[in-house]
Amino acid sequence: MEEELIQIKNTAVSLILDILDRKTLEEVKLQFLGRSGKLTLVIKEIAKLPKEDRPEVGRLANEVKKAIEDTIANQELRIRQLTDQESGERKEKIDTSVPGIKPDIGHLHPMTQVLMDVVDVFKTIGFQVADGPEIETDYYNFEVLNIPKDHPSRDTQQTLFLDTRKSKVVPGEVILRTQTSAMQGRIMEKIKPPVRAIVPGKNFRYEQVDASHGFEFWQVEGFLVDTSVRLTDLFGTIDYVLRKLMGEGIKLKFATTNFPFVEPGVDTYIQCTVCNGRGCSFCKQSGWSEIMPAGMIHPNVLKAVGYDSQKVTGFAFAIGLSRLVTLRYQMDDLRLLTNPDMRILEQF
Amino acid sequence: MLAPLSWLKEYVDITLSPKELGDRLTEVGLGTEKITKADGDVIFEFEITPNRPDLLSILGIAREIAAVERKKIRQLNLPNLTKPKKESLPIKLNPDYKLFQRWTGISIANISIKPSPQWMQDRLTKIGLRPINNVIDITNYVMFELGIPLHAFDYDQIIGHEMTVEKAIGGEHFTSVDEKSYHLPKNAIIIKDKERIIDLAGIKGGLNSGITDNTKYVFLHVTIDDPILIRRASIALSLRSDASAIYERGVDKGGTLKTLARAAQLVIELAGGNIASKIYDLKNKAFEPWKLKLRTERMNNILGIEIPEKRVLSILESLNLNPSIITLSSFPRKRESRFVPVKTGIKSGVTDSVIECTVPTYRNDLKIEEDLIEEVARIYGYNNFPKTIPIGQLSTKKIPYFKDFKIEEIAKNILQASGLSEIYTYSLIGEKDLTEQRWKTEDFLRVDNPVSLEFEYLRPTLKINLLKGFSQNKPNFKDINLFELGKVYLGNNLNEAKESYFLSGISNTKNFFEVKGILERLFDELGIKEDPTKFIEILDEGVFFEINYSEIIKQVDLNKKYIPLPKYPPIIEDLALIIEEKIKTGDIINEIKQQSRFVTDVSLLDTFRDSRTFHIIYQNKEGNLTTEEVGKIREKIIKFLKEKFNAKVKE
Repeated sequence: MEEELIQIKNTAVSLILDILDRKTLEEVKLQFLGRSGKLTLVIKEIAKLPKEDRPEVGRLANEVKKAIEDTIANQELRIRQLTDQESGERKEKIDTSVPGIKPDIGHLHPMTQVLMDVVDVFKTIGFQVADGPEIETDYYNFEVLNIPKDHPSRDTQQTLFLDTRKSKVVPGEVILRTQTSAMQGRIMEKIKPPVRAIVPGKNFRYEQVDASHGFEFWQVEGFLVDTSVRLTDLFGTIDYVLRKLMGEGIKLKFATTNFPFVEPGVDTYIQCTVCNGRGCSFCKQSGWSEIMPAGMIHPNVLKAVGYDSQKVTGFAFAIGLSRLVTLRYQMDDLRLLTNPDMRILEQF
Repeated sequence: MLAPLSWLKEYVDITLSPKELGDRLTEVGLGTEKITKADGDVIFEFEITPNRPDLLSILGIAREIAAVERKKIRQLNLPNLTKPKKESLPIKLNPDYKLFQRWTGISIANISIKPSPQWMQDRLTKIGLRPINNVIDITNYVMFELGIPLHAFDYDQIIGHEMTVEKAIGGEHFTSVDEKSYHLPKNAIIIKDKERIIDLAGIKGGLNSGITDNTKYVFLHVTIDDPILIRRASIALSLRSDASAIYERGVDKGGTLKTLARAAQLVIELAGGNIASKIYDLKNKAFEPWKLKLRTERMNNILGIEIPEKRVLSILESLNLNPSIITLSSFPRKRESRFVPVKTGIKSGVTDSVIECTVPTYRNDLKIEEDLIEEVARIYGYNNFPKTIPIGQLSTKKIPYFKDFKIEEIAKNILQASGLSEIYTYSLIGEKDLTEQRWKTEDFLRVDNPVSLEFEYLRPTLKINLLKGFSQNKPNFKDINLFELGKVYLGNNLNEAKESYFLSGISNTKNFFEVKGILERLFDELGIKEDPTKFIEILDEGVFFEINYSEIIKQVDLNKKYIPLPKYPPIIEDLALIIEEKIKTGDIINEIKQQSRFVTDVSLLDTFRDSRTFHIIYQNKEGNLTTEEVGKIREKIIKFLKEKFNAKVKE
């Protein structure tokens, strides 16, 4: 029996060392170590030996078993190394410098991408998003905002009037909103301060189209009313938001302006990113682009929505979203944003 | 508004360079659009906001410069107009104070009409006007110098030497000095002599009473016209003049005599002649400067900084607002804790005082305390303010008109991940777009004054623009996958108008089931239980879908709850059935599911000729299912399908 054991060991080892694939190795393993493998069968016979011979033969059987197992393990490692080497060679045969195969995903419009960022930034300072109608009344679009009929500032917001035939609407009373500020009155009259809201949306004006003007354009209106809102808060908010959106290094400046629904009135200019301030057709050669008109909400507006202007103050602003998008991506024409050309879309 | 530097310098010393001056003026609210150098002079082009009619004048702009330069304005040296001994050219004025709040005038005799001197012609040319003759040039020059419109009549042409102001009935014929004829709109303000309309007040003078080369006697007048009537008439006539621009915004009611004196001075100097009437000044109010109070505490609370009182006073002084402190508490008042003004770092010894200003009549934009606060802030300089982040309450309550923006993000991300690219298109479409779909235009909402006929109707669908986008990309791309999430406008009249967001897309690479699968995935993610089949349409171009997004997101349920993993293994088997083709797979799957609560999932595995193989998963959450139990359920399914659909098990 001892001879038999040694014979098995020698056969197994020499067989194993010649094997170069895992499958055969596995078969050989079963052939010797499996439930009815050669070695297993011999080991079973040990029980039949005289009692005094058993320890000696048993020890030898264990040694043989270990030797076979070790050889298998070593050979497995060798096979793995060989395979790796081979695949390395195979890799060298294909031209890996050819670009990968990209999954077919689409592109979100640049306006959406910027708007998502705008919403995120304002979320960090407690603003909620609201959405309202584009078909708007003269009251919310103008009158509640301290712009009575016949006010000369209406000239700066030439209005698209809707056909009132077949309806009971008085001509001129229902329009396409010219500004998302129309949502100030709608929201404030329904809620007590504090309120922090942004309202993204489309606006319409009777305007001749050029590189920096469109008859349909997007704004993000925003306003905040509380017991102690200050002009410095407005400056700080504008500065924070625009730097988060456009980068820490942008250049901003503030100027006085007049909108009947704010007092003091503020205009925000950003250095033109299309020309880096050198002057181009997009910024009308000024090097600066108007980006975020704003101001402290006029007491007449607060009164009109039922707030006490001696107890609460607030600020409001409108981000020119279409313009922000074009400035962020250095697009030199607003009309690119409504162009469905996939050669444009695929860049974003 | 154009303003030559040389003219401005007559009123105020300027030390800043043109560029610096332009930047500083923009900061204080006088938007400098352009600075041009020409003929040794510098011409500024300003954008004047509607609230500041006073800035439509050289003097007004000089006043702003004086405030930013901290300089004094040089006042005009004006003559005292005195009544002559003999009133040789009297006139009868019949006022209506609703139309002219004030009517100031004077006659001048024995003038000679000739070209105005070169210096005046040069100045008028620089501000974009065409010199005509000395008297007409003077009226233009003085209007742009002082900001109040005035008009010169040929005295001899005023029939009966009597003028009456009244409202037009509508339809009257009128020929202006520049020989254009108009039919007057109702309620335009007109001046009549004994017989004729001789002036379209505030807008244009009449040809029949205008200055000619033969004019010897003039009547000069300055009127304060009703701004709304002027605005309406000039809009109705599409006739905006320099004068109407000033009247619409509200003219300086206190400045008529000064304007008249300046014009008379120049007429006598440049056209000769002598004053030949008393000074008419018809008015029913005094038109005096008014008082306005500014509480420094409120100012500091609104601005967020404490500007030293000395600086506040000097700013107000520089704007000719004549500030004076009317109350001054000797101890600083206890500040309301909710306000936290930022310290400017300048020791000011601030006390809460009340400053009373006397507002000159040319600043009729200054009506309330906040207006004065802006005056201080803008001259102090917005760019000198510190920046703070708002303090205060954050509300967790949803605001009115709340929009859960996250839903839109999820929806768009899924469509993007599915290979569709997003477009934004115009809400306004043309008549042709509708008729091409064989729709009647009267069924849709319409704009009365479209920018062009291509943009006349509000779109009732996103399909039109998606198909346009599709064809536009055709020459450059084989594979086209587009979507838009945007508003459509439903209803055929404004009483029934309804805005809805629609979500639509088109694909020429995906088949019906792939598009359906995208929508199923979208609905799954949003927790919407709806079969998307009805939203899909197969067009020549590709597979198109359109969903009333506003409607469907009412079902959104983003709440998720963990379901414990099954403790017992499922039993899975495939069942091949021969069923008539007309029976819908969806119906079969539903029926199989109905047969036992242990059937947890059914899907179509394979279709071969007349047989369909279903993949059925049986699972009991409470224990192991035995082969016998599954066998019973299977029998039930087969029996039911046989009865309902005449289905047979494939051998």
